[in-house]
Amino acid sequence: MKHRILALAIAACCATLALPARADDATLKAEMDALRAEVAALKAEVEQMRAASAAPVATSKPAPAVNAEPVPALAATTAPAGGGVDSGYALGANTTLWGYGQLDYNRPTARPADARADLTRAVLGFNHVFDESTRVYGELEWEHAIASADDAGESEVEQLYIEHALAPNYGVRAGLMLVPIGLLNEHHEPTQFYGVERNFVEQAIIPSTWREGGVAGYGNTDSGFQWDIGLVTSPDLGKWDPTSPDGRESPLGAIHQELQLSKAHDLSLWARLNWLGVPGLNVGGAVFAGKIGQDTSKQFEGDANFPADNARLLLGETHVRWQSGPWDLTALYTRGTISDTQDLNLGFLGQPTPVPKAFWGGYAQAAWKALAWNQSSLVPFLRFEAFNTGAAYATQPQGFGTPALPTQRVWTAGVNYYLNPNVVFKFDYQDFRYDDELLNYGNRFDLGIGFQF
Amino acid sequence: MQVRWLLPAGIGATLVVQVAHAAQYMSVEQAQRAAFAQATQFAPVAVAIDAAAFGVQPGWKPLVWRALKDGETIGWFFEDAVIGKSELITYALALDAAGKVTSVEILDYRESHGGEVRLAAWRNQFKDKTPADAVALDRDIRNISGATLSCRHLTQGVHRLLQLYAHVLAAKP
Repeated sequence: MKHRILALAIAACCATLALPARADDATLKAEMDALRAEVAALKAEVEQMRAASAAPVATSKPAPAVNAEPVPALAATTAPAGGGVDSGYALGANTTLWGYGQLDYNRPTARPADARADLTRAVLGFNHVFDESTRVYGELEWEHAIASADDAGESEVEQLYIEHALAPNYGVRAGLMLVPIGLLNEHHEPTQFYGVERNFVEQAIIPSTWREGGVAGYGNTDSGFQWDIGLVTSPDLGKWDPTSPDGRESPLGAIHQELQLSKAHDLSLWARLNWLGVPGLNVGGAVFAGKIGQDTSKQFEGDANFPADNARLLLGETHVRWQSGPWDLTALYTRGTISDTQDLNLGFLGQPTPVPKAFWGGYAQAAWKALAWNQSSLVPFLRFEAFNTGAAYATQPQGFGTPALPTQRVWTAGVNYYLNPNVVFKFDYQDFRYDDELLNYGNRFDLGIGFQF
Repeated sequence: MQVRWLLPAGIGATLVVQVAHAAQYMSVEQAQRAAFAQATQFAPVAVAIDAAAFGVQPGWKPLVWRALKDGETIGWFFEDAVIGKSELITYALALDAAGKVTSVEILDYRESHGGEVRLAAWRNQFKDKTPADAVALDRDIRNISGATLSCRHLTQGVHRLLQLYAHVLAAKP
């Protein structure tokens, strides 16, 4: 219809041009100007109608209409780049590339010779949209700069899964996924946490970045609940090495399989429920539970081969986070148990690292955005953590038992300086109750650089 | 735990649910109606934007309508898109005739990450904001933990549209 109006306007304009020559020149000019303006306005309207009827996608929007009224310069605009140039990079219409990086420097005050500078993580991620409701997410990571047979680095696939939305607010996923537990595991980019290193609780007890392969459902409700449920691969207790300190550093970190030819006889379930119904509040919890014995020989030969065939893992977690104005306050508690470890540990007698029956950790953290200017901000924070990776061991015959480990306590005080929300420089000091050279625990200064895009 | 039956059961349930649901989003017309029930007309408004002045990419061109009731302006309606975590969020902003926010609606959220910005409780924070307000995350708009990028980008988007209103539309007759 607008096209017809446009045509009429142009016809009217032509008719005006064909007016008898005796018309007054000045009047004619004024009329023509008025008509020109009208045509321009109609043209702009038609263009907008077209844009509105087309899929309203910012990247494919036409150039601004050519008409009057340029926007006056804003005296003090704080608006950053529009269209989200700071988040991901479009590789064509359906594929986005994203990434993050973390570089750290740690200097133990008592052992300055152990000071280390490390390119902790370089990560490239992508997502590709197959159609309106189906996409694939992938995250590829290099740790410690160089990965080869002779180097300490690792090259890993952290996530790789298909997601299919069944409705705008729920759907299913299948593939290698991050376990939805705690606050850090799924959101582990260095701009998202305070301090150079990730908190110890979500490394030692929840082995971030923890992922398993399987199928999962996700969703959220209008009342603010966010839920997840999954059926996934389990850790493999058969990987436990009683001669290594790995199991003391992180019991689950020592036995998770990361979908690397994972033994998949035993599967686990995860479930998470968060409530986000009040802006700024995140309160919820998660459970990961399943058998971790993995030994298929049981079906044929009884329990002879692996003494912890029936071992079960149960890990629970609960948290509350409150972000309001400059404040960001967090508390998290998590506790795990592994059953049926008695016989297994008996075989490990004399070795330094038996399998714990219980392990737990918790932290409380307060961060305060002290200064904010333009895109930058300065956020000091304080965190207290207590955790124990060997809080209890299965009972053994008199004289063979393993005493519980002492509970480690760490205070961390530091500051995140955000150059912009996606680039952060960090400094902190960590005070440990117990030194442990093997696990690299000891009072230290840390410096860090992090970014994400 | 005997979980073997869960896998086929889950797949079966998925197929059933999939048949039952198609993605439903709010259309622009629905959002306009919801924002201005009493409006008799939505007149498209052409705006030329000096991208540099707004600190935005060239080509940023939100769609703007003037909500009219019997020829009288009763408010403004915007449709725009920002990047969420890595894909576009299409949203609508409604202002009353004085430039005060009456509603923010999500028209289309494509990815699941950060989809919590759809929560009404979060969007209601924008209500009654004016161009004079900060409209900035962690200042007068609270974050959703785990959906920070979407919250930040949407907040920036609303801030931009409020400034567009203040510097361009408010002066229009």
